[in-house]
Amino acid sequence: MKPNWQAFATLLLSALAFSGTTDAVEGGLVHTNAIRTIDLRSLPAVTEQIGVVVQNVRDSKAIKTFTVYIPHTKADRLAKVTVHERKSGAELQVSKMENEPFKYSWLPQPIEYRATFLQPLQPGEKISLNIDCVYLNTIEPRPKVVEQTGDQTWLWKDDARLLWAYPIHKEKTVVRTNGEIKSYSQIKESSKDGKSVTFGPFIGGEDLNAPVEVRFRDNREQLEAMTHRREYFVSHWSNDLNILEHYALRNRAPALDAFDKVKQTMSRFMKARDNFVKTLLVKVPADAREMYVVDEIGNVSTSSVTSRQRLNGDAFKVMQLKPRYPLAGQWNYTWWHGYSVPLSNYLRVNRNHHALRVPFIGSIVGSASQNEEIPLTAINTYNTAVSKYELRITLPEGATNVDVRVPFDVDSIRQMPQSYYFDSSGRTVVVVEHANVAPSAVDAHVLVTYDYSMLSLWQKPLVIAFVVFALFALTSLGSRMQLGLAAKPALTAKKTQ
Amino acid sequence: MKVLGLSAVDQTRLLRICILGLISIVAIGSRLYSVLRFESVIHEFDPWFNYRTTKYLVHHGFEKFWNWFDESAWYPLGRVVGGTLYPGIMVTSAAIYNALHALNIPVDIRNVCVFLAPGFSALTAIATYQLGKEVKNETAGLLAAAFMGVAPGYISRSVAGSYDNEGIAIFLLVLTFWLWLRAVRVGSAMSAAVCALSYFYMVSAWGGYVFIINLIPLHVCVLLAMGRFSNRLYVAYSTFYALGTLASMQIPFVGFQPTFTSEHMAALGAFGLIQVVAAAYYVRARVTAVQFRTFVACAAVLVAALLACVLVVLSMRGAVAPWTGRFYSLWDTAYAKVHIPIIASVSEHQPTAWPNFFFDLNVLIWLFPAGIYFSFRELSDNHVFLILYSVFAAYFAGVMVRLILTLTPIVCVLAGVAVANVFEAYLSHSPGPGVAQVPRAAIMGAMLFLLCSFQWHSSWITSTAYSSPSVVLASRGPDGSHHIIDDFREAYYWLRRNTEPHERVLSWWDYGYQLAGMADRPTLVDNNTWNNTHIATVGRIMASDEDTAYDLARRHDVDYVLVVFGAMLGYSGDDINKFLWMIRIAQGVYPNDVREQDFFNSAGEYAIGDTASKAMRESLLHKLCYYRFGDVMGAQAFDRVRKQRLPSSVTLHNFEEAYTTENWMVRIYRVKDLDNLGRSHKNAAQFDST
Repeated sequence: MKPNWQAFATLLLSALAFSGTTDAVEGGLVHTNAIRTIDLRSLPAVTEQIGVVVQNVRDSKAIKTFTVYIPHTKADRLAKVTVHERKSGAELQVSKMENEPFKYSWLPQPIEYRATFLQPLQPGEKISLNIDCVYLNTIEPRPKVVEQTGDQTWLWKDDARLLWAYPIHKEKTVVRTNGEIKSYSQIKESSKDGKSVTFGPFIGGEDLNAPVEVRFRDNREQLEAMTHRREYFVSHWSNDLNILEHYALRNRAPALDAFDKVKQTMSRFMKARDNFVKTLLVKVPADAREMYVVDEIGNVSTSSVTSRQRLNGDAFKVMQLKPRYPLAGQWNYTWWHGYSVPLSNYLRVNRNHHALRVPFIGSIVGSASQNEEIPLTAINTYNTAVSKYELRITLPEGATNVDVRVPFDVDSIRQMPQSYYFDSSGRTVVVVEHANVAPSAVDAHVLVTYDYSMLSLWQKPLVIAFVVFALFALTSLGSRMQLGLAAKPALTAKKTQ
Repeated sequence: MKVLGLSAVDQTRLLRICILGLISIVAIGSRLYSVLRFESVIHEFDPWFNYRTTKYLVHHGFEKFWNWFDESAWYPLGRVVGGTLYPGIMVTSAAIYNALHALNIPVDIRNVCVFLAPGFSALTAIATYQLGKEVKNETAGLLAAAFMGVAPGYISRSVAGSYDNEGIAIFLLVLTFWLWLRAVRVGSAMSAAVCALSYFYMVSAWGGYVFIINLIPLHVCVLLAMGRFSNRLYVAYSTFYALGTLASMQIPFVGFQPTFTSEHMAALGAFGLIQVVAAAYYVRARVTAVQFRTFVACAAVLVAALLACVLVVLSMRGAVAPWTGRFYSLWDTAYAKVHIPIIASVSEHQPTAWPNFFFDLNVLIWLFPAGIYFSFRELSDNHVFLILYSVFAAYFAGVMVRLILTLTPIVCVLAGVAVANVFEAYLSHSPGPGVAQVPRAAIMGAMLFLLCSFQWHSSWITSTAYSSPSVVLASRGPDGSHHIIDDFREAYYWLRRNTEPHERVLSWWDYGYQLAGMADRPTLVDNNTWNNTHIATVGRIMASDEDTAYDLARRHDVDYVLVVFGAMLGYSGDDINKFLWMIRIAQGVYPNDVREQDFFNSAGEYAIGDTASKAMRESLLHKLCYYRFGDVMGAQAFDRVRKQRLPSSVTLHNFEEAYTTENWMVRIYRVKDLDNLGRSHKNAAQFDST
């Protein structure tokens, strides 16, 4: 019954929106035509591109901003929203609004994003915009349970019509998939063309909203990193940047109906397909060293690393991690791995001023291939979506004036004190948290600037030397002191007979 | 002659410190094979429990640890952990962990636990040096320390990762004995109190403290019988006994045992005796009679005999707690086999085979009698102790294989004494012609060869026999490549990540601690074999036919059944080979339901497959192990452990395969839910297939 309730809620919200009870949104805009293209070809990321024509229907006043709603049902899976002018390709500034768009409503509220036009929209003027949204892990397997060599079928489900802040004249939705379409909602306006399905066009004011769905086959691997924590440790002494990545991973494929060892052994022998993710590929810099893979109960000794590789002018190595057990659908695996790289490749020093530029996130690729060697091109496929991400950068002891810059909005950035390895005054750890990391963030970098003097570099050896010296001095003093009243008896007492 | 501005005495002192430092390094280093060859991982079975409790202590604090009731063990009974363990090793690790963290060294608690035993082995070597110095001189001490550092008998229980009570207890044993001998020599209450403190630490660390609390009173009694009473002995023993006993009673697991169990009665008797003797000596000082001395000796023996009689009578009437089964098996090696299969089933409780002594002690086993001989020749109070210790430890080591551990320190000390005597005789500076030095050089050369061969033997044994974690196995391929077989952790980690935290796993008790530690799931039985009935129930489930087993498993809320199966790899320590013990233990409690005879076929063989007896073929364990195994191995295949043909068909209805590891070593089955229509699973399957 749940989908109906959702549809009802959305309908009600749309009704509210149309009736103009929202005083936060500037009125006077109309969407004349909208085409929504949903791209399901690079799961688990779902890209929604909405091409929309916006017109100012006011008589006199120019309009500076316009509003985009993200329904609450999808809001917690949203990774990214961007708005571009279609003609020029210029990006509009988008900011998330904290207010609740619909007052006096007991229903869950949609999230409001407000985009600012590059030039205010003059009365009567039209502009074509592209709104791009990326969602993660919204597609669920249906059926939920299959055989271990069975096909994976996925269900896309959404409302046929979008939730608009302004009146809409005409809209339609196109769903593109990568595999055979098994079924789709047979409503009046739906049609199938090969691997894509179209819903609409719907005429504003006439056609009611309805939930629609598409079931399609896609046997490629899909994983969710339920939590991912990447840690950097900066060490100036050994010119070393240590990287540590914690993962809690889940295979998103449909669950097994029954585990069958015999079949698993046979398909490995025959190199036949099954749904077990057997290898995890991690791309590491070509100069990475001292790599390791550990989980809560010890080393995972079945992993390997390739020699230096080159692909599209990019030099790297690939860590091929084999989890302790192959990951069937819905199975979990938790582990951490790490390596070191030379710090000088990531650090710019200008006197006391240091600038550290490191990748925002590392990617991981799951592979169900039966082969021992996975082709190199697989490393650039995106099939692991990170739901909860945390980045920690531990700066050396004595770093001050810390400033962090991330090229996009993140949920939180904070700094906290921490002590390691004989620290006397403690060091600063930068913590960045972000939910639903968009695929494009793989290429992003974080810039951390801080001041660090020569004195701080020598602080630790000096403190340790001083402590050791003090201990020796105390011992020396103690051995020279006479605490008892009588003179110390020489320990030459004869042994008993 | 001065070197570095030091006098000759200071030079030797510095040299001794350096040598002890080197011995410590060798002792630690030779225990790291397992880390180098495998990894920093907790070994075997019991260490996993110690590791888990240590983690609990570190994360929850001492108060919570003390009152910890673990409801995930012995489901549904649970276990009062705080009151049923020796907390010494956990507290030690936690103290080290907290100290390191106070210095801002973020060490993992697992690494503290893994490297604890090697670290303490260095301390043991130093304590052995002190003991050797106490009974002979510094040379003997250094030799004893060098022996102790690498003796395989001790290494077997203290390699990195072997996080067990013995790891620190042997150090405490040697330390307590050294402090005792020193207290007897010096005769100060202070030294005896320090000895009692060390004894308290020992009590908190290992059940083997009973050895101390019997050996020291025995030493006292023998000294008294030899007419060697002295005020020093009186002060030392009275202080030690009073303080040590009171302190030991602070450990909840020991509690009031020192007041009523027979294991502790000897100490109490000796305490009474020495008071009587002291009184007698006091009296004698006033009544000058020459015959008094013989009279006292007779009276002492009489009183001791009387006390022993009272003890026996009290034991028989049950006023004093009877000896526990493990102690009975110390006196009568056949006792356990007949009466308590659960004790007999543990390999480390078996009597020692002769080659084991040579394997674990090598040349020391020949030097040991020589050391005893030298002790007899001198026969001071200390030497009486050494002789007593050797006699008793040698006896116990012969009875139970793991007690070679308590024999090792005394063997090392006496071997040190023997070699030191040889050195004294042949290394003294006596001027003479060159020819006269030849036999001397030959003997020293032979001795040196012997010592080198001991070191070589020790390293070899350590590396080949004692450095396998047993959680992780290794094999060599035909081309000499090193393969790691990690099926146990594969299965445990699968359980940890892919089952609900409350789901109960049934397995034979051997794997209980590992399941709790690595899989973090509740178990029915584990290596703390305190409830024989519960273990017998698990044995009965394994030995019953599928329907009975299903019924029992459901009644015990079992969600998963885990079996260890070695037929693919030829791993002989699997459940089928342990099955007879399960049957015997089950039979002890359920004689009407499980009969050992039923599991032998008509030819009287313990067989598997089609030639097996009906009970064997239908037993749950047999089914779970061989279920579908033939499908992957082929129809004509053999079981690689038992060299017998596989069963031609194995059916399974009430359990379903949940996971099987890469080499089929661990197989996990899910206990199916009841059928919706109340049919048996067999009927339901038949109905579905038609």
